[in-house]
Amino acid sequence: VNEPTASSATGIYVYGVVTSETPTALFAGVGGVHASEPTTLIRDSGLAAIAGHVRLDEFGEEALPQNLRDAAWLEAKVRAHDEVLAAAVGHTTVVPFRFGAIYESEAHVRAMLAERRDLVDALERLSGAVELGVNAYLDRERLRTRRAAERSVPTEAGSGRAYMQRRQLERALDDEVGSFAGEVAHASHERLASTAEDARLNPVRPAAGVGPGDMVLNGAYLVPVAREKELRAAVAELQERYADDGVLYELTGPWPPYNFVEREQA
Amino acid sequence: MGTPAQRMGTLPGRRDSAQLADVLERVLDKGIVIAGDIQINLLDIELLTIRIRLLVASADKAREMGINWWEGDPFLRQGRGGKGLEDRLKRLEQEAGIDEADEQDQ
Repeated sequence: VNEPTASSATGIYVYGVVTSETPTALFAGVGGVHASEPTTLIRDSGLAAIAGHVRLDEFGEEALPQNLRDAAWLEAKVRAHDEVLAAAVGHTTVVPFRFGAIYESEAHVRAMLAERRDLVDALERLSGAVELGVNAYLDRERLRTRRAAERSVPTEAGSGRAYMQRRQLERALDDEVGSFAGEVAHASHERLASTAEDARLNPVRPAAGVGPGDMVLNGAYLVPVAREKELRAAVAELQERYADDGVLYELTGPWPPYNFVEREQA
Repeated sequence: MGTPAQRMGTLPGRRDSAQLADVLERVLDKGIVIAGDIQINLLDIELLTIRIRLLVASADKAREMGINWWEGDPFLRQGRGGKGLEDRLKRLEQEAGIDEADEQDQ
């Protein structure tokens, strides 16, 4: 009756790597994608894989494609993946893996660590740095109202000339608001990047229809832990500069440097 | 450092959805792709990421309406066990009279 079945078989999920000196205790109490299994470190060749056992009836080749289409499952697992890596952020350098690196055995994880020497370089390159995210949103209506107020609006209601002037004003405002979105994104990214070792500009996410407006900036910045304050100050400065124009900044992180490992892609 | 919620900056009102969009984008679309022993179809993940990117933008709105952010997408609405789409397909096939018995008759 206690025969192992296919459903109780396990695999090893790997979240990312840290240096081999990293204490396992850093991940004590962090649940991971399979909450009942402890998160541990598998060490080899100067690297340590942040890892945990997962059941193959949840993460195996058969179950995974189906589970990936279950939004509630996916959201929970993606958050768990990030939480494990977040436990190391600020304590040691982390090289984050994308969701879904799953191995059959510890031996295979070790083999990967021995083989991927580029991960050692990545740890070196990213040493002591964290990623901060800055999102900016533009309230177009607010900007439009403000810009309209700055102009003299024709008052002779009803006259043909006033009508034409209003039409021209509307068109000018459309253009202004459109180009402002681009300008504010460019200026913000440049200012934020000046405080960072490296920077990435990601595509803005589509408008939600609610909240602070349309996303105009989706930036990621690699900063040494000690210089995090400078980037935070730059965000505060930008917020003050553009608040009246209807721009709202949002700072996220510190994150593991997810946006700064594309060089290591196989 | 603590949980992602504690790691967040300003805007307490938008924390959940912003966090969701930001986490999904990073964990599914960034980070090193490592081919482990379990083969995941990365194209599937890419398509998934695109769908999610469109959906999480309206996560706030969905929550305001008291529904989950993925409700608008049948692909992502399958629930645990993933039977939703298959069941619907089977029902539609039955309604259309194209079930297995018919196929065998032909």
